[in-house]
Amino acid sequence: MVLAAQIMASGILMGTIFGLIALGLTLIFGVMNIINFAHGEFLMIGMYSVFLISTFLSIEPLLSLPLVAVVGFLLGIISYYLLIRYLLRGPMIAQLFGTFGLMLFLRYLVMFILGPSPRVIQEGVLIGKTVSFSWFTFDLSQLVAAGSSILLFVLVSWMIERTKLGRALRATSIDAEAARYMGIDTEKMNALAWGIGGATAGIAGGLLVNFYYATPTIGMLFVMIAFATVALGGFGSVKGAFAAGLVIGLIMMVAGHYLSQIKLAFVYLAYFLVVVLRPRGLFGW
Amino acid sequence: MVGEMKAVVRILKDTFSFNDLPISERIAFAAFLVFVFFFPWIVHTAYARAVMIRFLLFAMYGLGWNLIGGYGGQVDLGQAKNVGFGAFATVLMISWWGIPFWITVPVGIIVAVAESFAIAYPMFRLRGHYFAIATLCVALVWQQLFLFWDWTGGARGVELSIRSTPNFTYMQFGAMGYHYFIFALFMAEFLFMNWFRKSKMSYELQAVRDNEDAAASLGINVTWTKVKTYLITAAMGAVGGSFYAVYHLYVDPRCVMQLDLSILIAMTAMVGGAGSVWGPIIGAAMLIPLDMYLGALLGGMGFYGIDFIIYALIIMVIAAREPRGIWGIIERARRRGHVLRG
Repeated sequence: MVLAAQIMASGILMGTIFGLIALGLTLIFGVMNIINFAHGEFLMIGMYSVFLISTFLSIEPLLSLPLVAVVGFLLGIISYYLLIRYLLRGPMIAQLFGTFGLMLFLRYLVMFILGPSPRVIQEGVLIGKTVSFSWFTFDLSQLVAAGSSILLFVLVSWMIERTKLGRALRATSIDAEAARYMGIDTEKMNALAWGIGGATAGIAGGLLVNFYYATPTIGMLFVMIAFATVALGGFGSVKGAFAAGLVIGLIMMVAGHYLSQIKLAFVYLAYFLVVVLRPRGLFGW
Repeated sequence: MVGEMKAVVRILKDTFSFNDLPISERIAFAAFLVFVFFFPWIVHTAYARAVMIRFLLFAMYGLGWNLIGGYGGQVDLGQAKNVGFGAFATVLMISWWGIPFWITVPVGIIVAVAESFAIAYPMFRLRGHYFAIATLCVALVWQQLFLFWDWTGGARGVELSIRSTPNFTYMQFGAMGYHYFIFALFMAEFLFMNWFRKSKMSYELQAVRDNEDAAASLGINVTWTKVKTYLITAAMGAVGGSFYAVYHLYVDPRCVMQLDLSILIAMTAMVGGAGSVWGPIIGAAMLIPLDMYLGALLGGMGFYGIDFIIYALIIMVIAAREPRGIWGIIERARRRGHVLRG
């Protein structure tokens, strides 16, 4: 019983991070109807940024997060202006391969510069510490990651729901042409969605690297999980991404406890079943 | 009786006739065939011959994918699972029971087609991105299962014992033999495609691709048209997989069922020009030598990964600038030529 509760609790902790990763993906999809294969590479670059900063500058991993957010934001914006802008004019198949090309490019660029071996952060206030609540024991780093994810989620949701900028973003996602007539610079909104996507994925990577090793090829794993999360929550739905992240986290932890080698098969299967049975996802419209 | 004879003659004529294509394309293709036919006599290095065999294999994969992806417009990113079914059917049946290669090929096809049929109807309820990622997920589920199961060799994979060559029961030869073997398979598939593109089904499929609602209103069964095509594509992938198994004499889920293979297959068709006869061949002719020579050259100089970076740049430029691929560039240039002349 305690074991089951512990598994579910760590599933939920992991799920909040999956939700954070899916947030940017679902935002980008909602605004311009494009799937970003390179999303996992944004996360991977976030992981490496924190690793490099903490190893070579001896700056505490947690404090480097704002810097990582800036790196991710710029990465998203640059990708948009140099590549995605042109892809949006083409057919869907070109969009898929274009972002896939971006994924390969970033992955092998990092591999070329830093080598293929896995990297782990050695020093930091969170590393290797655990916290106990009555029967439960958690990694402090996971707990902080979950807390930060929720915080960031609230922040982004607030920005989208309440601010003028968020309203313009939503208008663009509902009907880009009408938004243009209203004087909204939709090109900038698209870039903003990519910036937010890059920043949130980067921060997720920065949180993840405290308890997960970084390799140049790690992105694929997380982007596949994020696809499943986004589909489950409904393409384009921000709240859905969060709820679906929790569900996916639970599936992975429970399946991982019993059948650890094929836990990902359950995630992919979940995606397949969801899109076939309820194509709009849990919260899609 | 006479009617059936006429139908057979018609099919044969459609299969072997290229009369509807411009003379320049026919000459270029004939030159290509002559080149490939005499290639092992002109070029003697083992590496170049291996590149040629890989090129023909990927041209074949691309031709198969072009059916569903090019003519059908359905972005299938799971073709690796069919390659895997074919490869595993061959490798397991030969290593367990010593069954001749030629019997394992139809078994691989049946497995791939049956699995594709089982998932086709739910799959084709989806469109666009949803469909693409669903195909990707299904292929990854199979890869995970094949890695997990013991009877498929798990992560260790399955090896085939080397036999005295040449051996037509288990299809093991030297490089020369494999060259003509894959060339024959490639030609068979190409001639099938030549028949297909003139068939009624091809026109129905393109109508479905261009406008599903309009196609349905003309009495075309939209879903069944897609499903049929999906099954043919699956069968073609399985044949390629069977060849892969006897060529490499080793199969494991990481090499034949991986995501990168699915994407590379789709990419050969897309880079060359999806939905055109020559697209997959042009795409494979560009990507495969680039991949193999660049990788060997730069890897030898200690620059691991640069080949993929260049590769990725090419993909991005083509996707952004000319989504219709290299064939799109050729056609545009040709049209410009017509305008200037006339």
